[in-house]
Amino acid sequence: MDSTASQTGDLRRVVQANEVIKKVIRISSGVNLVALNAMLIAKRSGERSRGFAVVSSELRVFSRKLEGAMTGLGALIFELVRDAAAMRKQLHERHHLFNIPAREQQMREIMEPVLARMDERMHKTRGQIGRDWHKLRLQLNRVLQLCETGGSLARSAKIEAVYGGDMSATLKQVANQIEETVNEIFSTLKLLRTQLAE
Amino acid sequence: MKKLEFIYEDGHHKWAVVARDLEKPGFLIDTNEYLVVNGSEALLADPGGMEIFSAVFSAISAEVDPCTIRHLFASHQDPDVISSLALWLDFNPDLKCYLSWLWGSFIPHFGGTAETFVSIPDEGMDISLGGLTLEAVPAHYLHSSGNFNLYDRKAKILFSGDVGAALLPSGEDGLFVENFDRHIRHAQGFHRRWMGSNAAKLNWCERVSRLDIDMLCPQHGAIYRGEDVKRFIDWFAALDVGSAIKE
Ligand SMILES: [Fe+2]
Ligand SMILES: [Fe+2]
Repeated sequence: MDSTASQTGDLRRVVQANEVIKKVIRISSGVNLVALNAMLIAKRSGERSRGFAVVSSELRVFSRKLEGAMTGLGALIFELVRDAAAMRKQLHERHHLFNIPAREQQMREIMEPVLARMDERMHKTRGQIGRDWHKLRLQLNRVLQLCETGGSLARSAKIEAVYGGDMSATLKQVANQIEETVNEIFSTLKLLRTQLAE
Repeated sequence: MKKLEFIYEDGHHKWAVVARDLEKPGFLIDTNEYLVVNGSEALLADPGGMEIFSAVFSAISAEVDPCTIRHLFASHQDPDVISSLALWLDFNPDLKCYLSWLWGSFIPHFGGTAETFVSIPDEGMDISLGGLTLEAVPAHYLHSSGNFNLYDRKAKILFSGDVGAALLPSGEDGLFVENFDRHIRHAQGFHRRWMGSNAAKLNWCERVSRLDIDMLCPQHGAIYRGEDVKRFIDWFAALDVGSAIKE
């Protein structure tokens, strides 16, 4: 992210990303419920849906991992807000320092080291913000990979549902629910990735 | 880390507090920031100091889209109340800040232009938040000479700024006052020193005791609920303020 927006710490951009992340967190709490429901149904239908039971317990593991990964994203957003706010503050301070007229040699000598220190601080903050965005994108890729696992679990659930005997229709319904939820998360996060790449 | 907690919810009408921060360095006074939400519009009361901006901003963003904040309310001119103004305006240059007319030319030292401020006259005014009416209630000289509380008649909540403030020791971290007698000891020194006028205090107590209040929310310390609201007003009425300096 080398655009000037991120370098100056554009809070609006961070907020946009955060709103998407919040949406995904809301959807992922749904995965947990769907998985739980799937496990209960599998239990009720007994032997016939053992495979389905296995898949749905895997799905619960997935939803817990997803939750953890999303918490990680939230923490990164927090760091970004902190550093973006620091950047804005430093920009203000620099602006005020810069407004001091330094026509005389003596004044220049006083101001130069002050401005140099300021610039060094801003350089550091700018670097930090760059690293924050980088970490955010890495974590996002990790979450997307995790979602691929979720997608293949949903497919397995669909296959297992076929062997569910008279429970087959119900299991299929649950499997579809799983697929829908995972897909929704996936497409939302992909959209976020495109937004962040811009 | 600061966290946003909802203290009132009725459909789309909500009050939340970003309560004091247990991890904050001790040299900064701890503050509560209050967010009033009505549908897609929100007002932030006493947005806080510049140093805690990112903590407040993050805490709010975790629960509410900060783009919905259209109004700031500054009870008075103190840095712990409103020195974050420039950073809020960076985020949203169209923000309006409600403030006593008395501080109209002082607060711009923290940021903002002539368009930013809405002057509150001494007698107070109504503030509309997406159809909900909030009232700026005069609380002059308590402690600032141009000072307002914010009353929500529907939610029965009074944001009281520095009135009711307590400087609580670590360990007393609850959001609400649980034991009034124990709590008020931490408010006494503050009110005797910071509040300067007994006449202004009695005038405030008389007016505020006529309001229907479920929660009295100060900028520092814990929130008074139910019976404790009346207890506080009675306690304050009886307290000799402006008396903390020995002759
Ligand atoms: Fe104050
Ligand atoms: Fe204060």
